[in-house]
Amino acid sequence: MDRGASTLGPRAAGTQPRSRGWKAALPFVGPLLVLVVLGFNGPILLIVNYSFSAAGTYSFVNYQELAATPVFLRVIGNTFRITVLTTFVVAVLGYILAYWITSLSERTRNIVLALVVVTFWVSVLVRTYAWIVVLGNAGLVNRTLLWAGAIDAPIAFLYNDLGVIIGMANIQMPLLILPLYAAMIKVDQRHLQAAASLGASERTIFWRVFFPQTIPALASSVMLVVILCLGFYVTPAILGGGRVPMVANMLDTYINSIPRWELASAVSIVLLLFTLALFMIYRRLDKWASGEEA
Amino acid sequence: MNPSPATRFLAILSLTNLILPILVVVPMSFSAASSLSFPPPGLSLRWYRSFFESEAWLDAMVMSLALATISSTLGVILGSLAAYGLRRRNFNLKNVLEGNFMAPVILPSIITAVALYIALGRIGMLGTLTGLVVAHTLLVVPYVIVVMVVAIKSFDIRLEQVAWTMGASWFTTVRRVVIPLLAPNIAAAWIFAFVHSFDEVVVTSFIAGTYETIPKKMFSELILEISPTITSVASLLIGFTILCLMTAIWIQRLGKVSAAR
Repeated sequence: MDRGASTLGPRAAGTQPRSRGWKAALPFVGPLLVLVVLGFNGPILLIVNYSFSAAGTYSFVNYQELAATPVFLRVIGNTFRITVLTTFVVAVLGYILAYWITSLSERTRNIVLALVVVTFWVSVLVRTYAWIVVLGNAGLVNRTLLWAGAIDAPIAFLYNDLGVIIGMANIQMPLLILPLYAAMIKVDQRHLQAAASLGASERTIFWRVFFPQTIPALASSVMLVVILCLGFYVTPAILGGGRVPMVANMLDTYINSIPRWELASAVSIVLLLFTLALFMIYRRLDKWASGEEA
Repeated sequence: MNPSPATRFLAILSLTNLILPILVVVPMSFSAASSLSFPPPGLSLRWYRSFFESEAWLDAMVMSLALATISSTLGVILGSLAAYGLRRRNFNLKNVLEGNFMAPVILPSIITAVALYIALGRIGMLGTLTGLVVAHTLLVVPYVIVVMVVAIKSFDIRLEQVAWTMGASWFTTVRRVVIPLLAPNIAAAWIFAFVHSFDEVVVTSFIAGTYETIPKKMFSELILEISPTITSVASLLIGFTILCLMTAIWIQRLGKVSAAR
């Protein structure tokens, strides 16, 4: 294609030049823009400002104070550890579940998918609360184990890492299963048949033919789970009982218990930058995933 | 390919894990016991009675319903308009604008909570209804945009063009052509927005002040002390969510059938 044709390309086909576009779009996007600027962009800019201000001047003092606070570093480490472990559990179990769903008959498959979608919609609080009943000292699991004589004293599932990971994994699971399932059913069955006719074993077919085709979807949904884990507040607060502080719980402390707005702002900005960076990676991976499908 | 028995076992295990919360909470809410134990030793409606007889819980329910109704209505109006502008108009930085609109759900809600807490605190609007409505509207708008962008994409632009060529004004076109045809999607978007607002806990807990909503009250009770009344609240929420979800799916299906005719 020569250059003249390319400059005529999409713009000539459009109904109006882009510069006039804003005028025509403003009646539609304007009202929401006002709300978002006042209610979201403004407050975010305000905390950026707070995070850099100390005693009337601008500096990195707040960030320096954070970096010198052992608690903050421990909380960051904690957050990453819980995030990595939860994501790992979600990725392995979620992959297996999604894979199993593709092998079901259509009727059973629809029932199982409906169950996954329903759990996705049920309030996070409800799903977190249930684990107290299931995992508590007098809960379902401990009583069963005690009754069966497998243990002498109840196992402490709650108010430690284990409880938080179980609860968070449960909540993030549907987010991984649904996109992964969508990618799995798009894998061309003829590839698998071709591999089988060439004498490949089931294991080889899975690892060499099927799994590679699902990597983009797995990678993008894993990234989504990581993003959501990093800022998770409710589940660690309830199932961790204050003993598994994550970044979000630290923010709660800096706002509601010992008000330090500048520090809360600085922590928020750190979390925001991490999230944005990971979200960029997610967008890349998501494009890769949908590109492979096309 | 058939999954191996080990794969099947792990898959069923993780499915069980996924639905366990619902399987446990609902029977527990009918328990006759005064402490949390599963399986319940006997059945009764005492925890539902304790919910409906508690003024604090009922006030929280009224507040949640009111807040969700106002925010989802505002969210649907602003979000549908914005989705229309994003789909039907072409302008510079369109993707940036769309990203900005989606940002409140992309970022962890704790960040929005801190930012709004500090901003509202500065202007003395913490614990006001206006602050809550603004926050909830911002948080439900992205869901409305997602639903409406897809709906408008599949909506034939020629139907609008026909209306214009017949001399209809822009307002008439929207009122007589666009809104009626998109009505099922608008209704579904409203329900999604409503459920999200009704369930919102993080931002609400930070900025609501003395206002109580169902999730806020549940959250603070789960952290402080757990009363079995929560099981009935949780079960009611599960039922309510499933009902909303089914209604939204049903309405959208209805819309597709009538559009196909």
